[in-house]
Amino acid sequence: MTQRIVIDPVTRIEGHAKISIYLDDAGEVSDARFHVVEFRGFEKFCEGRPLGEMAGITARVCGICPVSHLLASAKTGDDIFAVSIPPAAEKLRRLMNLGQIVQSHALSFFHLSSPDLLLGYDSDPAQRNVFGLIARYPDLARGGIRLRQFGQEVIELLGGRKIHPAWAVPGGVREPLTPENRDYLRGRLPEALDTVKRALAFFKRYADAHSDEVAHFGNFPTLFMGLVSKDGGRWEHYDGWLRITDSDGNVLVDGFDPRHYAQILGEAVEPWSYLKSPYYKPLGYPDGAYRVGPLARLNICSGMGTPQADAELAEFRQRGNAHGVVTSSFMYHYARLVEILAALERIALLLDDPDLLSPRVRASGGINKLHGVGVSEAPRGTLFHDYEVDEHGMIRRVNLIIATGQNNIAMNRTVKQIAQHWIHGATAGIPEGLLNRVEAGIRAFDPCLSCSTHAIGHMPMIVTLVGSDGAVLAEVKRE
Amino acid sequence: MSKEVATDFLIIGYGNPLRHDDGAGPRVAEIVASWRLPNVRAISAHQLTPELTDALASAEVVIFVDARRTDPHAQPPADVTFTAIGAAEDRAGAADTHTSDPRRLLALTQRLYGRCPQAWLVSVPGVDFDFGESLSERARQGVEVALRRIRLLFTSR
Repeated sequence: MTQRIVIDPVTRIEGHAKISIYLDDAGEVSDARFHVVEFRGFEKFCEGRPLGEMAGITARVCGICPVSHLLASAKTGDDIFAVSIPPAAEKLRRLMNLGQIVQSHALSFFHLSSPDLLLGYDSDPAQRNVFGLIARYPDLARGGIRLRQFGQEVIELLGGRKIHPAWAVPGGVREPLTPENRDYLRGRLPEALDTVKRALAFFKRYADAHSDEVAHFGNFPTLFMGLVSKDGGRWEHYDGWLRITDSDGNVLVDGFDPRHYAQILGEAVEPWSYLKSPYYKPLGYPDGAYRVGPLARLNICSGMGTPQADAELAEFRQRGNAHGVVTSSFMYHYARLVEILAALERIALLLDDPDLLSPRVRASGGINKLHGVGVSEAPRGTLFHDYEVDEHGMIRRVNLIIATGQNNIAMNRTVKQIAQHWIHGATAGIPEGLLNRVEAGIRAFDPCLSCSTHAIGHMPMIVTLVGSDGAVLAEVKRE
Repeated sequence: MSKEVATDFLIIGYGNPLRHDDGAGPRVAEIVASWRLPNVRAISAHQLTPELTDALASAEVVIFVDARRTDPHAQPPADVTFTAIGAAEDRAGAADTHTSDPRRLLALTQRLYGRCPQAWLVSVPGVDFDFGESLSERARQGVEVALRRIRLLFTSR
């Protein structure tokens, strides 16, 4: 008899999804699926809109990472305009992207995931949230909240608002940073650095003491993909070449212009999810599964490019396999903290750059190409925007490849691995701690299923155990 | 923005301006900000996220402004309400990134900073929460009423 366990909805991720775990006759897990049940349709309804509106429209894909879409869209506009943007504009865009990485990673680690880590997967779900965290670890919780606030301030001081700033445009940006705001951000850096260092120290102790989670929360070989710098292959977040490596550290693709992504990346679709499943074409689907985001970026780069983050990268790789590759998705948390540190170091360098105050921040241009691609590293991974326009700059076709989608195959495999490790003969009752581990496995990827609207109240979790005849064998509802 | 400044009054208008009347709160906050009154700070926000605790901790009085869904055919039509509120953690387990309850935010402020301001919730009636950036006539009138009463609150202290 086949049974199915449904976790619906998954909580403390951005958006809505459900998880189905299929049991075989012996009660062992035979398969698992991570269903994304939201449908947004951005690619379709952008058709017919003017190119100039695209940054503002696509930023609405997400309330958490609008900056990523803003930058990828502006870069696509640069490509269609066929312009080279002023140095100040690139540095300002980089600064905003670093602020975005800080705020998004801080949200993921401190608000969404640390309650699991600090309070335990088996703790009372009513307390396993930011309130419970504050009660137990007030200093770390306060620091985490203020760290995210710092990232948001970088965005707001540049773009005028934290969410959906209409600031980056084809050709550059609208406004430079003021000296007053630069100085304000400088003053906030020491506290932010102190917070992330404390979080890193905590996480390393945690990971060393929780080898079971490290071993079973999405620990398997895949490819890894991301941007690296054009000079030296260092960690990159805004522009660069695509690099793809495998779990033995072998480089499969290097020095690849991301604008030609379609030559190497395919996009599969499954009938049970609205989330696409991109894959590396030469290996086919699903063998060409790859991971993007913090874990991938740390695995593929030659170095972080800043001293403190480089030291952390070396330690990170010591926790990897014999080739120094970290294959456990649980370590996305660790990679996220290393990236916050790298981002803060780079913000400090940029704030000392006199170009930031230059008034030359925008190149003018027109429709010089009918096809453009813009790629940048969003917090969750490589983000592709691909537009075709007509002679008047009206959009004729849009393709968006979102970071979360690129982790789709890996997220499904993570759920299956966790379920297979913890579920054996689950026919009577569903332990809360086990279900939370499945959720936490997904949360390690920090998936963003798009939530630009605010939720009303509390999202309950409903878990249903269904037999092969459709009868509900057990149901758990978390209020 | 969230630079730390000593302030007596803090206005937080929250909601989604792309959902017609849900934008009533942000609209109130933006208008109050345009008054440029001393010791009054106004924040327009989509959601009541934990970072706002920083601003709450340095305020003496906070006024939350939100829209509420009302029956468009009700007679008499719903009016703007002012309610004194306090900290409450009774909604434990709520999603942390979507902390849309001012009472929980006050409780979070109390936990983090050991103090929280006196608080009011101003609720503006709305009848249209579909996609769009304009306010309905009902919400527009509500915004005007809310602004008059908020100004009175400033001057009466």
